[in-house]
Amino acid sequence: MDRRSFVLAAAILAALLGPARADTTLNVATAGDQNMVDYINDYLGPRFEKAHPGVRVRAIGTGPGDAGSLAIEQKLSAEAKSGAPTWDIDVAVIHQRGAAQMVGESLLAKYRDQVDTSKLVSSPKADNALGTDVSGYVLPMFDSQVAIAYNPAVVKTPPRSYADLVAWAKQNPKQFGYNGIKGGMAGIGFVMGWVNAYAGIGPRLVKGPYEEADKSKIDAALTSLRDFNSNATLTPGNAGTLDALNRGEIAMGAVWADMFYTWQADGRLSPDLKLVLPSPGMPGQPMYYAIPQKAAQPQLARDFVAMATSPEVQAEGIVKRFNWYPGIDAQYVEPKLDKKAWDKLFVDITPQDLKQNAMPFPISPYFTTVLNEYERITAK
Amino acid sequence: MTRRIDWWGLALLAPAFLLMFALFVVPAFSSVVGAFAGEGGPTLAHFRRAFGTYGGDIWFTLWMVVAAVLIIAALAVLIGGYLTLGGSRAAVAVLAWLYRWPLFVPMVCAAQMMRSFLARNGMLNNTLIASGLLTPAGAGSMLDWRGILITFVWKQLPFVTLITAGAMAALDRSLIEAARDLGASRMRVLFGIIVPLVRGPLLVASVLTFVTLMSVLSVPVMLTADSPTMITVDMAYRITTFGDYGTADALGVISYLLTMGAAWLYLRDAARQRAVFR
Repeated sequence: MDRRSFVLAAAILAALLGPARADTTLNVATAGDQNMVDYINDYLGPRFEKAHPGVRVRAIGTGPGDAGSLAIEQKLSAEAKSGAPTWDIDVAVIHQRGAAQMVGESLLAKYRDQVDTSKLVSSPKADNALGTDVSGYVLPMFDSQVAIAYNPAVVKTPPRSYADLVAWAKQNPKQFGYNGIKGGMAGIGFVMGWVNAYAGIGPRLVKGPYEEADKSKIDAALTSLRDFNSNATLTPGNAGTLDALNRGEIAMGAVWADMFYTWQADGRLSPDLKLVLPSPGMPGQPMYYAIPQKAAQPQLARDFVAMATSPEVQAEGIVKRFNWYPGIDAQYVEPKLDKKAWDKLFVDITPQDLKQNAMPFPISPYFTTVLNEYERITAK
Repeated sequence: MTRRIDWWGLALLAPAFLLMFALFVVPAFSSVVGAFAGEGGPTLAHFRRAFGTYGGDIWFTLWMVVAAVLIIAALAVLIGGYLTLGGSRAAVAVLAWLYRWPLFVPMVCAAQMMRSFLARNGMLNNTLIASGLLTPAGAGSMLDWRGILITFVWKQLPFVTLITAGAMAALDRSLIEAARDLGASRMRVLFGIIVPLVRGPLLVASVLTFVTLMSVLSVPVMLTADSPTMITVDMAYRITTFGDYGTADALGVISYLLTMGAAWLYLRDAARQRAVFR
């Protein structure tokens, strides 16, 4: 072997052995938009790698919405069926519907008690996902909320209830906008809030049990929504509502609170616009950290979730960077934040408003019924 | 003499064939199967939902795509005609340079552009108001079926024009010149001589446009939340919101059938032309 080939062979050998010796990979699969992948790659990953030398965090984005959670469910379910000794995902970041399904299929590990930060969690959403008991299997990463954004220059007294909104929309036709049910969850949130306000099903809508007889009540509520829609503007997508508000085409619209604050912080939305959370409530939803039943690195996965749900990371990463509501109880997060960052999140919608008017999304059978009946009745 | 099998040729074709088979034939077949598959055996339930809930959307889709194709074909003939017969060299050069631009804009970018262009306080209305052609009170949003139609026409017109104008340019000029010498007007030459001769390429381009537009998801999703909408939106919605592949597959089969209808029109015409020229 001449010198050149020796050097080449040594280089190849080093390249092959190097990473294998130094790196353990922690695979974090996340549903949601690109910002979720960025959050793990740019913020959580480097932080975790620093505390755990030799570990590499790899983020895998599976796409926005429930479909993203479904993709993770399909992957884990296939691995479970194949009888693989360990599965490829160590930490999964999923929505409520995905969590409910995966707990039902025994795809997740009951890890919550093994993570210290679980003591800081107080939200009932940590135990119940759309009517399914997920207690022990998940920790909330953040919570988000659908609310009404409005332009105070046009709307002098913001609507405190759905009834106020209906009266206002009658006087100001086409000035309220939402994005229907096919263009994102803000529109779906508005519709679920409407059904909650007008179907008269009460807490059964979000807690169950499902009763077939409620369908006629839902139909009646959705018929009145059809009348309301004739006074409303249907916007193209969650972003479409914010764009229309910004261009002054509508004076009020249903939006995600975190998206609203982020756009304002980025200068994409007028700083004059404000938020209100009307009674009897609009839905919000958390995303969860879950650990698959047969994660290859269960201990590292638990360490990762513990770090991600620590008060420091919840303050800096979740509240300050993304304007999400924290996944753990806010009282542990507040001391870690400066007053300005804290106020930004809780000035328009106070903790008291959240307590009174933040509701979960309806349980799965009601959720599906409302969407199907909306297509049949309201969208006609 | 026995024909030798050209193994090298087949080997070269294999990757393309396998790719086509794995990424198109298999999914297409499984979506047809899925459209009829129920929990307890074969079912028509998915089609009942497809026609029941989305019947209006199926008609809307067909109407939207057919209208777009007809407008595009008409405009392509006019542009191609001017490029072939136009008197002003400068105008022909500018038009030839200008009309191709949308060809290089992806569908999703065109949709994003139209979102702010066609909105009530968007660029189009603002320009019209500033130039005194429209009053602010009269300005309305075109983010509905009109937005979809405008985007489709804007995006696909260059493609059909490119093919049609190419075919027109390849015609024997002496035919056109003879007609002009005998006193035929430009319009008469265009519709009496040129269009019948480029009918084949125009039809091919129109059928390809029909197929392309049938499958566009981004434009209706990004331009409107109104109902009815296009069935691509319904397919995406059934899958992402309910994981309901059955109804999505049924809608997919319906869109295959509609596209096959367009393909059949084309094949019939091609066969007829072959018979004429034989």
